[in-house]
Amino acid sequence: MEDKQNNSLLIIILDTNPVWWGRKQLANDQLTLSHCVDCVTVLADSHLMLTHKNKLAVIAAHTDHSVFLYPRPQSEKSMAVKLPDDGQYEVFSQVEGQLRSQIQRLIAADKVKIDDMYEVAEQPSDSLVAGAISMALCYTHRLEKECPIGETLSTRILIIKGSNDCPSQYMNFMNAVFTAQKLNIVIDACVLDSDSGLLQQACDITNGIYLKIPQPLGLLQYLTWVFLPDPNTRSKMALPPRAQVDYRAACFCHRHLIDIGYVCSVCLSIYCTFSPICSTCQTTFKIVGPQKLMKKKKKL
Amino acid sequence: MASNTSSMKKIVCKDLHSYLRTLPPTVLDRLYCHPATCLAVFRDIPELSRHYVMRILYVEQAVAQAVVQHSNNKYFREQFEAAAALVELRVWYEQPLPGGMPGWLLNHVFRTNLVTALLGGGTSWIGSKDLTPDKYAKDILFLDKYALERWECVLHFMVGSNEGTDGVNKDITDVLLHSGLMRVDDGEPSITAEGFQFLLMDTSSQVWFFLLQYLDTVQSRGMDLVECLAFLFQLSFSTLGKDYCTQGMSENQLRFLQHLREFGLVYQRKRKSHRYYPTRLAVNIVSGLSKSNIDTHRPGFIVVETNYRVYAYTDSPLQVALLALFCEMLYRFPNMVAANLSRSSVREALARGITADQILHFLQSHAHPEMLKKSPVVPPTIRDQVKLWELERDRFKFNDGVMYNQFLSQADFELLRNYAKDIGVLVWEMPEKRVLIVTKSGHDDVKKFWKRQKSSSS
Repeated sequence: MEDKQNNSLLIIILDTNPVWWGRKQLANDQLTLSHCVDCVTVLADSHLMLTHKNKLAVIAAHTDHSVFLYPRPQSEKSMAVKLPDDGQYEVFSQVEGQLRSQIQRLIAADKVKIDDMYEVAEQPSDSLVAGAISMALCYTHRLEKECPIGETLSTRILIIKGSNDCPSQYMNFMNAVFTAQKLNIVIDACVLDSDSGLLQQACDITNGIYLKIPQPLGLLQYLTWVFLPDPNTRSKMALPPRAQVDYRAACFCHRHLIDIGYVCSVCLSIYCTFSPICSTCQTTFKIVGPQKLMKKKKKL
Repeated sequence: MASNTSSMKKIVCKDLHSYLRTLPPTVLDRLYCHPATCLAVFRDIPELSRHYVMRILYVEQAVAQAVVQHSNNKYFREQFEAAAALVELRVWYEQPLPGGMPGWLLNHVFRTNLVTALLGGGTSWIGSKDLTPDKYAKDILFLDKYALERWECVLHFMVGSNEGTDGVNKDITDVLLHSGLMRVDDGEPSITAEGFQFLLMDTSSQVWFFLLQYLDTVQSRGMDLVECLAFLFQLSFSTLGKDYCTQGMSENQLRFLQHLREFGLVYQRKRKSHRYYPTRLAVNIVSGLSKSNIDTHRPGFIVVETNYRVYAYTDSPLQVALLALFCEMLYRFPNMVAANLSRSSVREALARGITADQILHFLQSHAHPEMLKKSPVVPPTIRDQVKLWELERDRFKFNDGVMYNQFLSQADFELLRNYAKDIGVLVWEMPEKRVLIVTKSGHDDVKKFWKRQKSSSS
């Protein structure tokens, strides 16, 4: 009687990077954005189907900004919701409709931007995943505050990512991940293309699952098998073993991922080359090592 | 020895799962023909089972059991139960794979309809047709008020207060009589001990219990159980504050709708109106089963202090009457009453067949928002004391037994007593008077043993 009700919130961060998806399209890859959106929609609906208490949010991580695809602000909801004309549960069809229309809007906005420009500027080929995670964390915080007394909210974030890692986001990304760890939020990652070191670290830190899918066409089956069960249920089910984690850090000077580097002894900033003054905490370092060695040798 | 069974029976509010289990397989199979019922059943099965279903939802053939269920010994029991629940509700069958391995195959009808609910396709749900905007559109506040009024009518009728009971018609009375919550005394229906227990349940449990009883009588009214259930589940998945259309509903379903209107589960402006609004009572049917602790219909109003004082901020005579079932009333103010929980008042309630759990649940489910901030909501001293008062009442444990006495010698007595003790059927003994009591089931053995002894000794 005393146990609290647990609401489960699933936040899906979908990488909608136009450059990456465009390249896939050009390469005639079987995995297209629309297929991916379909799979994500089904996963989202399945999550809502599990219990009526489950909540959902979907965020698109774009090249220059992140947007909430679902739910939209209250003011936009006022437009009349059409009832489905087939046997679908009306909540599910609403989710589906909203996801589709928002993605369309996102792509249309991009198109307008490109048409406006005479010369197409170099589009960054990475997505703002760190920003999207921060948005997800803020959203969670708000929902937790709004949670009625006697109910708790457990959140997890699922990142579906195709584009490459961007080391320039390293700091922001790690800060977001450690915040998630503090808030007991699990971060899962489903990687569509090449392995991502950053996401591996994020999943490892927050006890999430990292999966690079071997068969892009079976995306939906991977999503429902691996990412649908919430962390409490996972121990009872057969899931892929934890992957080897790439724990390389990015240096603070050039944002390169490095294996061996220099670490400031005061603030623990990482540098790929030696610098006499730490750019983070302004500590000066004197070069003393080699000379002392010489002296010792002379004495002997 | 005297045997006695508890004279009061506790009413049990079955959950959806145990209700479905009582239905014959043919009815179950027909139920799965509708997406809404599949959705309701899906949400009601254990969590692990839900994931099993999701895993093989898109697979059209049998899947090896070992694949679906991971054999982790620690959770073996839970997994076994999850699979058993699915077999019980005929959601999946066991089917051997070509290689001889045991496999699971989802019920075809169930799978198709669950996929329909999830992904779309198939025919539309009843009444899901776009309507022109309602001239008399109702908002959620109005619907809540309406539903609560209708439902309180039923409760008022049960306690026999005269307030607004004219809305209660024969259908409701029939259900109440059928369920044993009321019985006819001198031509007037009056409340029974079960009825008092019913009153103490939270609203969503009350509605569900009432509907179960109603569904029992459905067939005798010449209506189809499957049609009613399908409509009921669909109603519970509709959106609050939205209007739905009655077009395309069968004659039976329209009748059912009228009954639901009487209970306050749907709002319809006029009997002939083509649109109806589901109320919170209807929307909460399935969700209310998940043992929610808090009554969502209205804010709580009861404050319980550790000194056994109970304050209730309410002006509803019904709520005050309910409180008076187990409290000693002290003062009454226009918007608040003060009462005491005392041993005698609680014992009186217990004597009526109300259990301690029901009292505590009532206090908790109607707790004032300020009280809800504390954990546990009801002070532990009160909880324990109420439970102790209940235990006080059944200090006797009744066992059926057979008494042996008038032994001729102490040796005979000891022989028989030792035998009874050895086979574990001895209940009580008194060597001074040579009396012993064995359980009823052990009586035959002891008797045979004694006969053998006597014949061998003589």
